[in-house]
Amino acid sequence: MDFEFTKEEKALQEEVREFIKKESTPEMLKETEDMGDIYGAPEGRKIIQKMAAKGWLTPTWPKEYGGLGVSDVASYMIREEMGYHGLPFGFVAAHMAGPTILRFGSDEMKKKWLPRIASGELEFALGYTEPQAGSDLSALNLRAEDKGDYFLLNGTKLFNTSCHIADCHWLACRTDFDVAKHKGVSMMIVDLKSPGITISPLITMAGWQTNEVVYEDVRVPKENLVGEKNKGFYYLMAALDFERMFPLGRYRRVFDELVEYTKETIVDGKAMSKDPLIRQKLAQLSTEIEVTRLLYYQLAHILDKGGIPNYQSSMEKTFATECAQRIVNVGMDVLGLYGQLKEGSKWAQLKGKVEKFYRTSIVETIYAGTSEIQRNIIAQRGLKLPR
Amino acid sequence: MDYDLNEEQELLKKAAKGFLSKECKPLFVREMEENPQGITPELWQKMAELGWMGLIFPEKYGGIGGSYLDLMVLLVEMGYSCLPGPFFSTVILGGITLMEAGNEEKKQELLGGIAEGKIFVTLALTEATAGYSPERIAVKAEKDADDFVINGTKLFVPDAHLANYIICVARTKEGENKKDGITLFLVDAKSKGIVITPLKTFAGDKLNEVVFNNVKVPKGNILGELDKGWPIVKKVLQKAAIAKCAEMVGGGQRALELAIEQVTEREQFGVKVGSFQAVQHHCANIVTYLDTSRLMTHQAAWRISEGLPCEREIAMTKAWVTDSCRSLVALAHQAVGGTGFMEEHDLQLYFRRTKAAGVYFGDADFHREALADVMGL
Repeated sequence: MDFEFTKEEKALQEEVREFIKKESTPEMLKETEDMGDIYGAPEGRKIIQKMAAKGWLTPTWPKEYGGLGVSDVASYMIREEMGYHGLPFGFVAAHMAGPTILRFGSDEMKKKWLPRIASGELEFALGYTEPQAGSDLSALNLRAEDKGDYFLLNGTKLFNTSCHIADCHWLACRTDFDVAKHKGVSMMIVDLKSPGITISPLITMAGWQTNEVVYEDVRVPKENLVGEKNKGFYYLMAALDFERMFPLGRYRRVFDELVEYTKETIVDGKAMSKDPLIRQKLAQLSTEIEVTRLLYYQLAHILDKGGIPNYQSSMEKTFATECAQRIVNVGMDVLGLYGQLKEGSKWAQLKGKVEKFYRTSIVETIYAGTSEIQRNIIAQRGLKLPR
Repeated sequence: MDYDLNEEQELLKKAAKGFLSKECKPLFVREMEENPQGITPELWQKMAELGWMGLIFPEKYGGIGGSYLDLMVLLVEMGYSCLPGPFFSTVILGGITLMEAGNEEKKQELLGGIAEGKIFVTLALTEATAGYSPERIAVKAEKDADDFVINGTKLFVPDAHLANYIICVARTKEGENKKDGITLFLVDAKSKGIVITPLKTFAGDKLNEVVFNNVKVPKGNILGELDKGWPIVKKVLQKAAIAKCAEMVGGGQRALELAIEQVTEREQFGVKVGSFQAVQHHCANIVTYLDTSRLMTHQAAWRISEGLPCEREIAMTKAWVTDSCRSLVALAHQAVGGTGFMEEHDLQLYFRRTKAAGVYFGDADFHREALADVMGL
């Protein structure tokens, strides 16, 4: 057993921290916070492309495609650092599409896409959810008709975040309507500037933008089909096994700032941190953050051993996102009346961060598989309970 | 990072599981709850022959020289089988205290005897104030020529009825700093003036009141230094806390299995109970509590084994495992339903034991408060 980083991983962690400290700009930090940690906006592209040049965006990939060939533990550590320090950390191309192409794509496809993903030049937007296909993803029915040398696409995607700043759509669409729902889905890469695509903003309670994306007679070249036709649902599920994880870094930072706040804030003649109830709450959160850390790196450990995380990724995602919500809820309680003051307001504390993340946290247990779906997976796949 | 047990630990785990599944069946556990001794000499001797009692003692004291992590592996299996008896008191509370504080002579004299299963030792720490802070130590030891004389009442002393020796944590000096002035005495349990009265406990643990009435102890029986006993007690408490966590994790594993057995067999409304999402989510929560408890316990035990700083991890772990394992057994009861409420169902054994284990060596609130200190709050 060993629950610490290796010497090399520690050195890399220091290097990453130094780099972030040196290269972060207030504009990038604000942009990332406003966007919801996704990648693709101009300021983010600047710093991420510099990081990518060091191989840090896709560190586990083979060197020929722009990776470093290092451990998953190192890769997970980098993502955690990025989240903690306010960089974009939600990468669709580098962390979801790329690994799928690496595993299931043709050599041609790998050569065409992977280096440009690894360099941070290209970002994809996730194209899964539709109005009638949320938790039941297999109900998606954006239609892709086979027209010989191209597919013709028609339909509507909903809550497809990143589409307004990404380059391509990582699209799940229906290529066969006559078979079982999950057997007629294909994955494609679609240039978001293709004629016939209309992206309409939907503004969330977090202030972030997500989108409705309408496809009207959009032509997609055959070469953009990922792997085999009608195998898309399988790829998508396999990718989730590898990629379902939630770095807590962003919320961990809020927690650390909250702890400092209670030490510095004097109420009734003594620091808030001396209040027994606040001590209990903060110690509990600190414990849950440690639990999350162990669940998070467990996934990396399984991958490094050559395994595939099973129910453990659902467990990590659920625990981490629910922990995030508890962090900001306690944060709001600790701040009391001040908690409601937004950034820029007179008397706002911690730059209004707590109320902002209080709002953002609510979607964490919904997207990328709700907590309920995750618990189904834990029970059915992890514990083999009957469907 | 490496989350796995090593090969020897896997072997130890397998061997312990095999042995306990034969020698420590639920019926035996129930019998021992009623039996005033709480253990049979036969089982105790078999355990000694397996080398369990000497697992963590150095070879020169008749032990096997295993690590604390090895011990944790064993304790998980003991928790899984609800092993009754004085293993915890003798090896962890007695043995570890002797290892930490005993001089060469005492170690030579006692550790080998413990390893052979011939000597029982326990720790008399808590009192009527029922807590684990130095302020709660009031039993007095006063110097009298070459002896010390102990007076006062210790409570919740495990297995004192079997003990050859009782390590008594006594106050030898009064002052502002309560951590100062605490001394550990190795007391022959047959000494004049000791009165042991068993307490009736809900988990079947053999706890006792031990009254010290002008009990004379030679000063050579001080473990460690006069007045400087608290740091030793603290170390022992930390190791004992994680050892309890290991037991809870083992018990939690069994509770999960009992829940899964029931919900995959029982049918209601024409389908398996385990196919209902409400039940599935209970089970998902159970395994989350269990896995996280196991991970935290492994990490803390690993840090103890490696001699790394671990105050933070120990506080977190005891707090987390205490709350989580209690919740998980309660959820298992909800999943199992009325059957689990029956005395003859094994789940109730774990429900009672987990709650008791949570209180030992500091409950969740106690450890969160300790953690708050470590965090500089």
